[in-house]
Amino acid sequence: MGETVLKMEGIDFSFDHQTVLEGVDLEIQKGDFLALVGPNGSGKSTLLKLALGALKPDRGKVSLFGVPLRRFRDWSRIGYVSQKANSFNRDFPATVREVVASGLYGKLGLFRRMKKEDWKRVEEAIKQVGLESLSRRNIGKLSGGQQQRAFIARALVSDPEFLILDEPTVGVDTRSVDEFYRLLAHLHRKKGMSLLLVTHDIGVVTTYVNRIACLNRRLFFHGDTDEFVGREKEVFTAAYGHPVQVVEHAH
Amino acid sequence: MIEMILHYGFMQRALAAGVIIGVVSPIVGLFLVVRRLSLIADALAHVTLSGVAAGLLLQKQFPAFQALNPMVSGMVFSLTASVFVERLRRLYRSYQELAIPVILSGGIGLGVVLISAADGFNVDVAGYLFGSILAVGESELWVIIGTGVLAGLVICFFYKELFALSFDEESAVLSGIPRRLVHLLFSLVVALVITASIRVVGILLVSGLITLPVAASLQIATSFRQALWLSVLFAQISVLSGLAAAFYFDWASGGTIVLVSVLILLAVAGGKRLIRPGSGKTGAA
Ligand SMILES: Nc1ncnc2c1ncn2[C@@H]1O[C@H](COP(=O)(O)OP(=O)(O)OP(=O)(O)O)[C@@H](O)[C@H]1O
Ligand SMILES: [Mg+2]
Repeated sequence: MGETVLKMEGIDFSFDHQTVLEGVDLEIQKGDFLALVGPNGSGKSTLLKLALGALKPDRGKVSLFGVPLRRFRDWSRIGYVSQKANSFNRDFPATVREVVASGLYGKLGLFRRMKKEDWKRVEEAIKQVGLESLSRRNIGKLSGGQQQRAFIARALVSDPEFLILDEPTVGVDTRSVDEFYRLLAHLHRKKGMSLLLVTHDIGVVTTYVNRIACLNRRLFFHGDTDEFVGREKEVFTAAYGHPVQVVEHAH
Repeated sequence: MIEMILHYGFMQRALAAGVIIGVVSPIVGLFLVVRRLSLIADALAHVTLSGVAAGLLLQKQFPAFQALNPMVSGMVFSLTASVFVERLRRLYRSYQELAIPVILSGGIGLGVVLISAADGFNVDVAGYLFGSILAVGESELWVIIGTGVLAGLVICFFYKELFALSFDEESAVLSGIPRRLVHLLFSLVVALVITASIRVVGILLVSGLITLPVAASLQIATSFRQALWLSVLFAQISVLSGLAAAFYFDWASGGTIVLVSVLILLAVAGGKRLIRPGSGKTGAA
């Protein structure tokens, strides 16, 4: 058994007396690729924010790489692409390079400037998401899918061991979605990265992930993909309150 | 000719003050504009007015404060207010700009009350309202130099943190950037720069010097670095024109500086449409 990347135990959370999460236990081992699914408003993004310490749970414990969140400081081991990444100011004067580089700033720390090798890492991350020809373009002038890839490059540039993505494929065309999942599969298999992906593409994702968690206030399923595939109707009916059409992509 | 101009001590001081302010104001302005906080400059300038009035009042009432430069009390007031702006901003998550009118009207109100309580000063309050670059005194120049050095250091050392926080605050914080510290230092720098700029452009026009060169640079810059250099360039052109106009024609320096900035903005926006027709940001879809 490998290292535990993320461990959440007995998480309760509410926004102004409205209970959003109840008794959630989530665990991600090193090398896992977990898909977190659930209907709108089921608390997926909230759970990620709790995992990252942006929100504090009412009850329960969170630890990252075996360290309680309170004491965790190694933020560069984690990459995060927020669901709202795409709602930035379109007229912001910044190139793709500048935005991707900002993913390194936390790791560099105060008082350290970008060096040549840091810029090389920036170029590599941009290449990894296939944006090298656009690296000096203004980020606001890119298409939605290209912007999304730039944000993934920003999360990848610090070479994280654990990547957290909140609905990264919204607004991305079908071909780019497939390409995007292949990139994630590559990071997972070749680089041994652990991934936590929030998504609504349930059908597509079962081909890539090895773990699935289904959330609607509490967890309705948390286990291996193989086990899930046989029980998906029953899990979805319980979690969504009605059966869910699982759309498979033609490959 | 330049030698002749620099023969005058007041011209040397004016030039030094103008160049320093023309570098730091647009840089601070760029970070404010991209975070949609450019009106903070206005709010803090008006708070400075009440600080200046308080200083003048102290001078008048208590001989012990004769040596106090009203710019210093102005600075104390705007530093305090800048900390409050950050607090107020956190109080209203989605109406962050609400902090600005609160501070602005509070500052003006207090300033006006203090001025009326003093029943007239023997210095010209208008000099603070509209600025007069040729009247920069020796002690004021030192305040401006100190501000320039401090602002330069904070921006150099925290450039990457400021950029990351301006572009995407949530991700920046989650990547481990100390938001509070950086915001606090930056708001203190904003307050210092605004107070220092008042001598050059005046309370009523400070926000023009802080935002107009940035507005022009945003029309054409693709990268943040470009926006930075262009806004400094535009600000320098404006400040030097204002200085020349004040020296040769006795025009108000602050007014000239802001007018030249407006002309640059119009020229840049117009030139952009000429070169790339249809690429302008027209807003209407
Ligand atoms: N800042 C907030 N203040 C108050 N309530 C909130 C806030 N953010 C989210 N909520 C509430 O918490 C619940 C869970 O929201 P969350 O964003 O975690 O859902 P989600 O599963 O990510 O949904 P989606 O699939 O639409 O992204 C929702 O009912 C929402 O109304
Ligand atoms: Mg969400």
